[in-house]
Amino acid sequence: MISLKIDNKEIEVPAGTTVLEAATLSGISIPSMCFLKGHSNHPACMVCLVKDNRNGALVPSCALVATNGMDLNASDPDVLEARRKSLELLMSDHVGDCEAPCSLACPANMEIPLMNRLIGEGRFTDALNVVKDDIALPYILGYICPAPCEKACRRKQIDEPVSICVLKRFSASAGSDNKALAASRKLNLISPEPAGKIAIIGSGPAGLAAAYYLQIYGHSCTLFDKASEPGGTLRSDIPDEELPKNIIDLEVEIIRSMGAAFRFNTLVTEEFYNSDIKDSFDAVIIASGDTAAGTHFANLIASTKTGYQTDEKNMSSSLPGIFVCGSAIRPHKMAVRSVAQGKTAASSVHAFLHQKHFEKPAKIFNSRFDKLLPAEYSEYLKESIPDRRVMAVSGYTGGFSEAEAILEAQRCLHCDCRKKDDCKLRNNSDEYKIERKRFQVGNRKAMTKKVQHDLVVFEPEKCIKCGLCVEISSGESEKYGLAFEGRGFDVVVNSPLGVSFSEGLNKTAIECVTSCPTGALSFKNSNNNNER
Amino acid sequence: MTENLIDKVDKLVQETGTTPDMVIPVLQAIQKEFNYLPVEALKRVCEITEIKPGNIHGISTFYSQFRLKPVGEHIVRVCIGTACHVKGATLVYDSFRRALKLKENEDTDDKMLFTLEKVACLGCCTLAPVVQIDEVTYGHVGIEQAEGILQDFLKRLENPAAASSHFESSGKALQGEVRIGLGSCCVASGSQAVKAALEEALSHSNINVLVKQVGCVGICNQVPILEIHKDGEIPAIYAKIKPEEVREVIKHHFKPKNVADRTKAGIYNFFDTIVNREIPRSLTYYNPESKETPVSEFLLPQLSIATEFRGELKPGDLDEYRSKGGFTALEKCLQELDRDELIAIIVNSGLRGRGGAGFPSGVKWRLVKQAQSDTKYVICNGDEGDPGAFMDRMLLESYPYRVIEGMMIAAYATGAGKGIFYIRAEYPLAVKRIREAITICEKEGLLGKGIMNTQFDFEIKIFEGAGAFVCGEETALIASIEGKRGLPTMRPPYPAEKGLWGKPTLINNVETLSMVSWIIRHGDKEFSAIGTESSKGTKVFALAGKINRGGLIEVPMGISIRQIVEEIGGGIPNGHKFKAIQIGGPSGGCIPASMADISIDFTSLKDAGAMMGSGGLIILDDTDCMVDIARYFLSFTQNQSCGRCTFCRIGTTRMLEILDKICSGKGTHGDIDLLEELGKSTQAGSLCGLGKTAPNPVLSTLRYFREEYLAHIDGSCPTGKCKNLITYSINEDCIGCTKCAQRCPTQAIEAKPYELHVIDNEKCIKCDICREICPTRAVIAR
Repeated sequence: MISLKIDNKEIEVPAGTTVLEAATLSGISIPSMCFLKGHSNHPACMVCLVKDNRNGALVPSCALVATNGMDLNASDPDVLEARRKSLELLMSDHVGDCEAPCSLACPANMEIPLMNRLIGEGRFTDALNVVKDDIALPYILGYICPAPCEKACRRKQIDEPVSICVLKRFSASAGSDNKALAASRKLNLISPEPAGKIAIIGSGPAGLAAAYYLQIYGHSCTLFDKASEPGGTLRSDIPDEELPKNIIDLEVEIIRSMGAAFRFNTLVTEEFYNSDIKDSFDAVIIASGDTAAGTHFANLIASTKTGYQTDEKNMSSSLPGIFVCGSAIRPHKMAVRSVAQGKTAASSVHAFLHQKHFEKPAKIFNSRFDKLLPAEYSEYLKESIPDRRVMAVSGYTGGFSEAEAILEAQRCLHCDCRKKDDCKLRNNSDEYKIERKRFQVGNRKAMTKKVQHDLVVFEPEKCIKCGLCVEISSGESEKYGLAFEGRGFDVVVNSPLGVSFSEGLNKTAIECVTSCPTGALSFKNSNNNNER
Repeated sequence: MTENLIDKVDKLVQETGTTPDMVIPVLQAIQKEFNYLPVEALKRVCEITEIKPGNIHGISTFYSQFRLKPVGEHIVRVCIGTACHVKGATLVYDSFRRALKLKENEDTDDKMLFTLEKVACLGCCTLAPVVQIDEVTYGHVGIEQAEGILQDFLKRLENPAAASSHFESSGKALQGEVRIGLGSCCVASGSQAVKAALEEALSHSNINVLVKQVGCVGICNQVPILEIHKDGEIPAIYAKIKPEEVREVIKHHFKPKNVADRTKAGIYNFFDTIVNREIPRSLTYYNPESKETPVSEFLLPQLSIATEFRGELKPGDLDEYRSKGGFTALEKCLQELDRDELIAIIVNSGLRGRGGAGFPSGVKWRLVKQAQSDTKYVICNGDEGDPGAFMDRMLLESYPYRVIEGMMIAAYATGAGKGIFYIRAEYPLAVKRIREAITICEKEGLLGKGIMNTQFDFEIKIFEGAGAFVCGEETALIASIEGKRGLPTMRPPYPAEKGLWGKPTLINNVETLSMVSWIIRHGDKEFSAIGTESSKGTKVFALAGKINRGGLIEVPMGISIRQIVEEIGGGIPNGHKFKAIQIGGPSGGCIPASMADISIDFTSLKDAGAMMGSGGLIILDDTDCMVDIARYFLSFTQNQSCGRCTFCRIGTTRMLEILDKICSGKGTHGDIDLLEELGKSTQAGSLCGLGKTAPNPVLSTLRYFREEYLAHIDGSCPTGKCKNLITYSINEDCIGCTKCAQRCPTQAIEAKPYELHVIDNEKCIKCDICREICPTRAVIAR
């Protein structure tokens, strides 16, 4: 046995163990990307650096074999900073979006490219499922959302953005049975016990959204509204030409069908709260809209200049058990923001009922880049169709037919990374809180995509040159395999001697994709990478 | 695929080998045949050998020797080594691009006649800037000469000079010896033509002298050199001799032997003297024993160990080498010393590796000796890749037997039975000389089984490196011999324990091995008496740049920078001021003139932020921009990075981008900090020596010349070197000769005879031709 010290911890490991393995065995976490057990592990990424306390040298732990008397540091500021820098350098040479720009622009962070792919494949119910994960009222929003997603859409640079908003509306209407979907969702209860009773004050977009998600969690909701019909400002402020009233009714009906109770013509004042709500409900969500019309709970919970004081990470007010969302915090121009907050409030209430604390997960690290270069248009179009925006025959209000929707959805460039949920570069960048642009000095490389392969998409500008795929494909089973091409900064992975990528990567394709630490190699069918 | 191609490839493979480790030699053979690597040929190789497509693809794109596209009939190589760089090589390169009308991203002209390449170093630093077309070398190339040079080359093709005839002594008493340098610099400077003239002169005169081709004399700044040695006379040295001057020199020193000859010579000379009455006045004649001459000043402070008998030994002559004590050291080792005693001598001598890092050689030998294995290797590292360094090449070319002897002693000491010379393919003469020397040694029983009637068996092979600076790093060098991309690996394990093919391997630099036989013959004490506490013996440097007398020098460790610059080098030319030295090439650093009194040894150079490196020594004057120098070296290492580890691959690239930004006047103060920070991280986080030392030129110039960086941030390049920060203008001194206007490639100057000319800065591409051509120095770059 070999005995060594990592972070002053005495460790015994069998001879031949690497420091990375020794650390992992003893519970010391060292990040790594290019390391894969059973392979040659020629150090490349340099994020597994540790410091040799005897001479201060930084050494890659994946290739360092433990020897007696070693004294290493795996966590001091020098080590962490060196790892962080290597990640920042790698990121400076990494071109690609983790999440698509549209998703990031969406206040509800809806997985728009996935919706597009599913609609494009004619899988409308699946598409709606994806939409409803983040947006409770897609039918309504499909009419009125100002669509910040479309402003961020990369397709806009090439011709016009994908009509995301109308596609979302389409998903909620034509192709799928909304009620059935809502009901099936309710069966997939996330945590049925204890089921709570929640009072939601206001049946506008925020309140409706909160009710939708709370019922999915298995709780029962009562929505109070001073008006005689549900919908809040959706009904009162938006002309019928923009948002037909029957659309509001349809989407409210889904929520009602899940079990929600509505009490109209009921202005919830503090007095009413004390008499009818406080003791009858387990939690309260205030979604009563713009407080300019009157603050009814000013004595109950703290206020700000614009509305009720709210911690937007979990929509909690100053009083436990009372939550706030929508324009009651401050007037929202976009209903989608209220809808997103409704979802957060629901999650937070659910956690509260389980005596748990909830916080909306902080946005994790995202690789992004500025505009597409003209040379990249054709690369992105490889996974799309060249047609311009589809104009619905039945007009904007009428929306897309199935055929139109499929065609329009296929215009999506699929900017999101297929491996965004399984990328070591992204995860480590997030963990080390890297500064993405720190070393972005010169011009970035132009993004390329190799999509001819049946199974695999190769995006060389996401490659960190670890060489795992080259090594894996170099065995006897491949006639050609993959090869490193060139040297230094210009080195790329490619199929050798001018053969096609499909010829190069054949028998070992699956192993190569699963071993690839980044999104450089991914399965063409996104389901295999990261679909739920 | 043509059958012809298949047949040729099959034949080449058959001659070279079919195992995966033979991939580099196979590719070299194919390229020699086709001038590039046709993809059909590569596919054929995969079909008939064990070499895999991925490997052949990886190798052929890694090493810069290999070309995947057809090239023009002739290759124009513009040297961009350090010495050439500081003398304007980039501008020269641009001028050839214009002359050949090359399109962007193209290197071959439309007629497929010329292909233009940049080369790291042709090793003719004293003739900088240098351009080589095929075998013809042009020195001191001016920016406006590109067209003329191309034409001159084509003219030479039409009218090839008569091939030099061979001649030898006719057995009569020799009247003396004429020595002519045939090192690469000498050849580049035209010594072949001088040799041809000499042969011509002698064949007509029946003067019986021994003409001897010697290796590099070291006085590269005075080449071509002709030395006349006669018994009882002080040798006469003719520097910078021209072919047409040879006959008179010979006549001056030697007289024909018999009357008939004399008559013949007389008649011959009668016609000759009409044009050439006396020894031409242009000829520089030096008496080497007079202390006042540049040659003796150049030579006297030097000390020859690796270059012992310089200018006296004929490179390929084994008998002569033996007559001067050659192979006696080996004999002594084999017959008198056991291996531990031998290693103790090397340890006690204090010899440290001359390749750059300075690891104690004896300790390395002992590690290999102690490693248990039935097979061990010795590798001579001759992959000298620094721009501006050509010591190893000169040693291999001039003293092949000395290096071989050193290697054999090392092999005996460590128990190795096989030796490999790893020599850059860019050094064809060195490869040829070593190959010939090995053959002769084998014939003479110095290599093979039972050497010198002992139990010692040893064989040597040559491996030609295919052009990758990183292969100077020992683990990358081993990978390269094994037929892989030259990627360095983690140490430990060190090659001493697990090297070539997993066997214990000793890797020593050429210069290190060159010192071994001297140490054995003279003893460890005599060697360790030379030098400083930390650094013993001598060091060979390639002295070049802004210096009056450049060349190859061997000096005792501990000599000061000032001694080298002022005494050996004779100071800075053209009245300029000594600004700094750049030592150690791309791994080294710049030391300012204010520190010229520090001693040249491993420790003090490291303390000063530079390093010994392999021995490039470039002198910079007050016209050199230090930011540009830093960028030059960094662009070299960035280009030569193997691309494996993050810090070297991306770190050096980002540093270079920051420097580009600074040199183009777009830098900020934050950029300087970022550059420094990234430099330190790259030093600490890179895997091998290349990455760990790549930031040195940047960090050392930041340390000593920070104000120049700051000046660039403020928008000016103090020396007027950075193109983006300067504009050209013509001042009152203009006499209206119109020369500039005639030569301007972009018509940025309108010809107005006898008027003050004006440069249109919109059109100006800053090619510098006008400034170079102006007879009154009226063109100013600022």
